[in-house]
Amino acid sequence: MTIDYYQAKDHAPIPPKNADVLTTACDYCIVACGYKIYRWPVGAKDGGMKASENAFGVDFPSNMLQEWVAPTQHNICTHKGKKHNVVIIPDKDTNFVNTNGDSSIRGGLLAQKCYNKDTKTKDRLKTPLVRVNGVLTPMSWNDAIDIAAEVGSHVLKKHGEAAYGIKTYSYQYIENTYAITKYALRHVNTPNFTFHDTPADVTSTPGFRDAGFDNFGPSYDDWGSAETLMICGTDPYETKTVLFTQHIMPGIANGMKVIALNPRETAGIAYIKKMGGLHLDIYPGSDNLVLGAIARVVMQNGWEDSDWIKHWVNNKWESNSGFGQGTRNTPWQWRTTWGKFQTKGYEDYKKWNLKQAEYDPEAAAKKAGIDVKKIYQAAEWLAKPVNGKRPKTSIGIEKGFYWSNNTGNTNAISSLATICGAGGRPGQVVGRFGGHQRGGQKGGGYPRNKSAQKVPGRRRQALDTDRWMYSGHTRFAHVIGTTWIQSMTGSQGLAAKFEELVVKNPNQVKSNNKAEIIATLKKRADSGGMVVINQDIYLRDPIGAKFADVVFPAATWGEVDFMRANGERRLRLYQAFNDAPGEAKPDWEIISLLARKMGFDGFDWKSSNEVAEEASRFSRKGRKAFHMVKVAAHIEGKTLHQKMREFGTDGIQGPTMYNYKTGMLHGTKRLHDTTVGEKQFTAMGLENGPVKENRYGKKMTHFNSQTGKINLQKHPWSLFGDLWEWLSPKKDELWMSNGRVNEVWQSGFDDVERRDYISQRWPGNWVEIHPDDAKKRGIESGDMVMMYSERVPVFKDTILGVHGKDFQFSELMKNGHIKLDKASITAVAIVTPITKPGAMYGNFLDMKQPTNSLTIRVPDNISGNYNYKMGVGKVKKIGESEFKKDFRGMSFAPRNIT
Amino acid sequence: MSEITNTAQAVKKDESAEAHGKCMLNRRKFLMYSGGTAAAASTVSITLFAGTAQAETRKASVQGYPRKLVAKLSQLKDHQPVNFNYPDDGKNSQAMIVKMGNVQAGGGVGAKRDVVAFSYMCTHQGGPLQTTYKHVGDQRVMGQCPLHLSTYDLRRHGIIVSGQAYQSLPQVLLEVEGDNVYAVGIMGLLFGRQDNLSA
Repeated sequence: MTIDYYQAKDHAPIPPKNADVLTTACDYCIVACGYKIYRWPVGAKDGGMKASENAFGVDFPSNMLQEWVAPTQHNICTHKGKKHNVVIIPDKDTNFVNTNGDSSIRGGLLAQKCYNKDTKTKDRLKTPLVRVNGVLTPMSWNDAIDIAAEVGSHVLKKHGEAAYGIKTYSYQYIENTYAITKYALRHVNTPNFTFHDTPADVTSTPGFRDAGFDNFGPSYDDWGSAETLMICGTDPYETKTVLFTQHIMPGIANGMKVIALNPRETAGIAYIKKMGGLHLDIYPGSDNLVLGAIARVVMQNGWEDSDWIKHWVNNKWESNSGFGQGTRNTPWQWRTTWGKFQTKGYEDYKKWNLKQAEYDPEAAAKKAGIDVKKIYQAAEWLAKPVNGKRPKTSIGIEKGFYWSNNTGNTNAISSLATICGAGGRPGQVVGRFGGHQRGGQKGGGYPRNKSAQKVPGRRRQALDTDRWMYSGHTRFAHVIGTTWIQSMTGSQGLAAKFEELVVKNPNQVKSNNKAEIIATLKKRADSGGMVVINQDIYLRDPIGAKFADVVFPAATWGEVDFMRANGERRLRLYQAFNDAPGEAKPDWEIISLLARKMGFDGFDWKSSNEVAEEASRFSRKGRKAFHMVKVAAHIEGKTLHQKMREFGTDGIQGPTMYNYKTGMLHGTKRLHDTTVGEKQFTAMGLENGPVKENRYGKKMTHFNSQTGKINLQKHPWSLFGDLWEWLSPKKDELWMSNGRVNEVWQSGFDDVERRDYISQRWPGNWVEIHPDDAKKRGIESGDMVMMYSERVPVFKDTILGVHGKDFQFSELMKNGHIKLDKASITAVAIVTPITKPGAMYGNFLDMKQPTNSLTIRVPDNISGNYNYKMGVGKVKKIGESEFKKDFRGMSFAPRNIT
Repeated sequence: MSEITNTAQAVKKDESAEAHGKCMLNRRKFLMYSGGTAAAASTVSITLFAGTAQAETRKASVQGYPRKLVAKLSQLKDHQPVNFNYPDDGKNSQAMIVKMGNVQAGGGVGAKRDVVAFSYMCTHQGGPLQTTYKHVGDQRVMGQCPLHLSTYDLRRHGIIVSGQAYQSLPQVLLEVEGDNVYAVGIMGLLFGRQDNLSA
């Protein structure tokens, strides 16, 4: 590993009084703190230390919590062709989200994102590229689009829609995702379509969906105003920092009790424990057992919220209802057949839970590797009345939890939440904390009937695009803003397949002549190979660098006006303030060029505002519904984006309502709010029902089921237990789980490689090993280690399910659909007590050494999602890293020191 | 990157700097001089590529950090930070020097290279790090900051262990002469300042 050492500067310019000031929000985590961009030309005078001389109106040196510019928060960018200074710091005047102008380390360094050819962002893609003789060669937009369009059209005509695969991000701004999905689903109409974080376009939280919970119903205020907060599968401090520091921490200071269900303990959980909270430090994948046991304790003590249950839980007939929802393959079908999930109501659920041997608290604690006392403690905090009053309980989940046993865990938490009365009142909410921001807007419907995949008793299941590609059915892979390979499990196998179908196919482009290029690529597709086109801001390895035949340069945050919402549905305008590099274009524009060339209509947009305005009516049913902002804008003679700009960093929470009489727009604080009453309706002008284009949907005050009440579901361990037992570490294996780390945004998108400050802290792949496990293997902090496995299970075939058990793991093994792959990756060892003995924790997505190569490529048999957190492996020392004895980079200090 | 540092001043290397060898950051990046008194910071305008189409005016910093006696080696006790102010007595100059129990540290002075000095102001939002020094096994940290929980590794030049700081914790560079320990410079920008030498 070679890194450039971060040279700390000892000065930074402050913006002058007359600097341009634009508002935006962060491009990184779900919280989406509000930021201000200060921009002034290079050569113009910088701001001075007196309040009257700078744009902040603050005397320097400034005080704690006041404006300050760290050297990393300044950059030089190009605006209208001329060099400008930019300083980007959290908005100290914002009224929501990052109150007190707080920010994380990720957003705090946003200035480093800007394209500046004198810095590490210089390798931003600037022109379209086409691979000729193995080398990516610049080509004009016209020619590159022609090539992609002709070959794409040919594949559609000759091999059918399912041969044209589209793999795209789900979140990078409403304008882009609308254009991409309009193209992919409405026009190309392919079932070979999915998002960056899943092999098939299915919901990430099936249990929530089936219970009737929206993923992002809660308001950020709710996370701090519960009396008991249960956090499953994440340390919010690490990856949703300001949600923790500005909303949860104040709650804790006010006496909120916190229960953290997570194998590992980082700074936030350490703080929670220091303040008296409870850490359920379970083995990966054992959550369902612990939750079932907690539910049992609650019910046996009669602590369930019977009032809430009586009013809000569906009985059998109610959860059966849903004519008009469609037959077979809909969520209610899953619930109502097989007898696996549906209950007749609370008493039926209770009876079922008490019958399951695995939910006995002692048994559950033993399997999960925790002290059984914690189960009883958790049950008390969640549900035991104090002085006759029930505690206000809220529950939040994230990926550590639902990528471990996707269906089982999300079913179990939904039921536990409902029993404890959480889900539909202020301070008593249920939801995801979030990962990416919410920037998805669908421009078409997924053609499920075209999917080749079927499960027993169902019509069709959304196609697993990895398996489809792996079995050789994808002839044209259109990859947008994602690495695909490293983001999916069993990545080394996927990479090998790409190599075989793309690079090793005999039809390789050897000419610069457009017609010959097109002919060659067509031949490659026809011969059973695969053509790859890729849109991104940087060349990613290997999807762009090694495999793409055509690369389109994309414009990103800060270069185009875009809209997006955060985890409490707060919509903002993310303003453009600097020029995109070279000829880079926003993804919606790239799509429109391609679509028009392919003969599709409806892609004539001239600006991102036009795309947003077209998309608005499709947002009306969803949680980000922003149609009324457009209505208000047009009434006032403005565009949608202009109106959004007025909201600044405060933004407005979706779904939006408009009072035609007062001319006021109203946002929605929380979904499933059963306490909304007359007063709120009157304020919105809706006291007599819907008015004109306002749409006040069921989920505003009820739940997402036919009746509007909650479905209480069973969560049988047996659907997952066989896989868990098979996978559980044998002999000298350890659990190999993975996840994110605070200082790096997700997979190192565009930060870690390009910010010396961050790459110095995290210079390469790393893995946490408990001191007990490390000692046995002679491993010390700073050693280079190899994690390896000979038994990475890969579900290799696309099959039609006929019998009920066909997708059960043990059946798949028996019927020969699981192959066992070998995989190995290297990393620097961090020996630390923050991880559980018996469990390693690695970087979920190092580009070169992805932990996903060790995670199981066996999708959840009900939902179709990967359980990314599940993996096992052995570990051994292979040498020492340079960081063991060198003081310049990395740190091996434990992250839970308080 | 955007600043040109005037390297007119020769850099002196004393015994402790050479002894550190490669575990220290390149001190040539900082202008320091031995002896003498504090020099004010000044900025000079230079025109690059003058007379050409690419002409640009840049500011060049000519920095002079004061040399200040902050402690006597013999009086430092393990794990007991001693407070001082540097580079002046103005706002946000609170710093500490600490002997860290015989574990070597980047930038450390003294026989065991375990004496280091850092700013007390968290480089996130300026939270106070006083009383947060901790030693756990071989690890030496400051933190969690009471505001937003940032923690810094004092053996690795104040790099962030876990937290939100926009910069490593500014390390005060030290030089030893006999029993005297002098502060001679700072790596990184102190919270709240736009220039370390302007208060």
